[in-house]
Amino acid sequence: MRRSGDITARLLWAAGLLVLGVVSVYVALPVAIAFVMSFSGGQILRFPIQSWSLRWYADFFGSPQYVDALVNTLVIALGATVLSVAAGTASAWAISRRKNLATGALTLLHMLPLFVPGVVLGLGIAITFGNVRLFGMDLYGTRFIVMLAHSLWGMPLVMMLMETTFRSLDRQVLEASRDLGAGPFTTFREIVLPEVRTAILSSALFSFVVSVNEFYMALFLTTRDTQTLPVLMWLSLRSAGSPRLAVAAVVLMTIVLVSLVLLASGLRRKERVRG
Amino acid sequence: MSESILELERVRLQYGPVVAVDDVTVAVGRGEFVTLLGPSGSGKTSTLRLVGGFEHPTGGVIRIAGRPVNGLPANRRDTATIFQSGALFPHKTVAENIAYGLRMRRVPAAEIARRVAEMLEIVALPGFEHRYPAEMSGGQRQRVALARSLVVRPSLLLFDEPLSALDLALKLQLRAEIKRLHAELGFSAVFVTHDQGEALSLSDRVAVMQKGRIEQIDRPDTLYNRPASEFVYTFMGESNRLDVTVGGGAIRDLQGHLLPLTLEDGLAEGAWRLYLRPSRLHLSEHEPVRSNALRCTVSMVEFLGDHFRYHLACHGLRLMCDVSAKLGLSEGSDVIASWDGADMRAYR
Repeated sequence: MRRSGDITARLLWAAGLLVLGVVSVYVALPVAIAFVMSFSGGQILRFPIQSWSLRWYADFFGSPQYVDALVNTLVIALGATVLSVAAGTASAWAISRRKNLATGALTLLHMLPLFVPGVVLGLGIAITFGNVRLFGMDLYGTRFIVMLAHSLWGMPLVMMLMETTFRSLDRQVLEASRDLGAGPFTTFREIVLPEVRTAILSSALFSFVVSVNEFYMALFLTTRDTQTLPVLMWLSLRSAGSPRLAVAAVVLMTIVLVSLVLLASGLRRKERVRG
Repeated sequence: MSESILELERVRLQYGPVVAVDDVTVAVGRGEFVTLLGPSGSGKTSTLRLVGGFEHPTGGVIRIAGRPVNGLPANRRDTATIFQSGALFPHKTVAENIAYGLRMRRVPAAEIARRVAEMLEIVALPGFEHRYPAEMSGGQRQRVALARSLVVRPSLLLFDEPLSALDLALKLQLRAEIKRLHAELGFSAVFVTHDQGEALSLSDRVAVMQKGRIEQIDRPDTLYNRPASEFVYTFMGESNRLDVTVGGGAIRDLQGHLLPLTLEDGLAEGAWRLYLRPSRLHLSEHEPVRSNALRCTVSMVEFLGDHFRYHLACHGLRLMCDVSAKLGLSEGSDVIASWDGADMRAYR
């Protein structure tokens, strides 16, 4: 009997492994194809590849339009991250101090944008801020309005992560700091911040990645001068699909992957400190 | 200048309908070690938190060194708390933990270094400066917590069950250490615990609390030998309880059996609860050795390390008796349990 049990277990294990393999290929394939295509020497985005070349990389980084889009993407992502982390951390701190109906409702309200489609948010913001002028400048079409828009998704992510982090702090440790003569601000700086540094870094990388990837809101809110890489890729795809697009995809993926690696190593370090 | 370092005057803490601290009045003298003893929910920790400034009273006055402190936050009170968990700052080294309060008081760096080193000697942890709390044992962490509070030389040290998370051997060791430090340094302290052994061994005076009130505050020996109430008596140690009725000059158990008991003072007619500590009973095989005696049967013998506990059945009554040496008695043996009338307490 035990033998047949062993066989069943092994079969299950093999089946699991198979599914895992298929899913891995399925997940990795689009990225891998884009990666391979980016080294194509041909004029159009098509298999099989006739010749290998780095010419499209040179082309990408030589094109002011693409480089501008890359810079826009990075600047907007950085700005959105700063906004998300500042606002999200502050809200999380406030909400984590108390748990009642009001903070529950506030949390839900903060989370709402995560469940609203980007198209809807983009359209809404475009309509709302279409004619707003700030310091004599049209808000619409600036990088700033895209940062604001992206922080609608970044902030709730930061808030969720930071709220759990703040709640996990030992209340007695905070009280000990007050007890030894530190005011609330000093306690936050001396005791809370060093404790939650890794969590802040993680949530910052999350909001950075979300902003780099975001397409719909950027499409609605940018002009030719401020368009991000995903937007430019979409527009280029509609005119002509050259391997330059594959290069753009690889650049975008690289930014995201580097962020994820940083995120993972940050989390690992946190575990080490805890352990 | 007041003689008391801490005075609580009709202090009250109420959350809605729940009264956590109910008109507590108590004074702690300079250099005195006072323990608040009570079961969980008795208001002892709430009282300590009121003194530390972590809660604020809804009534009454708290004075530290003669100055009212109602409404002052913890960081502006000259008290230092040793928390149950130790509450060390996890990302700071031992030296940084101990230095924290001095840094907040803007003590010069050279003096901080000197006082931190001195403290590490006092709590017997020299060489631990650069350790992190996660790299230390529970007992060591609690010593660091003690050092961190002592180093700022507060008017009053507050202990919030600092030993309850430690295992027995460590608990006893650290308890002795706190007692030694109190004798050497002469600090004033309020110590909260639910462990009557800790309270009796450490304190100059013990306040037994129940339902937010102080039931009795006295020296440990007075408290143990002359408890003011049934609650204090039963909380100070294990006891045998005999439910009896007094009528017509006789004492009977609830089944109506006559009990040949003589108390120091006669009891008024009615129902009484008589109490007797297990260690005050004497066992003998033929003749009673004390004035009150009951004929019993041994129902169980427990070995408890430093003593034996005999469980006895006497008619409908059950008694526990602690003796240090094993007697030649086994389950089912007949035995006479006897005790002095003065060792019995009666409550109704």
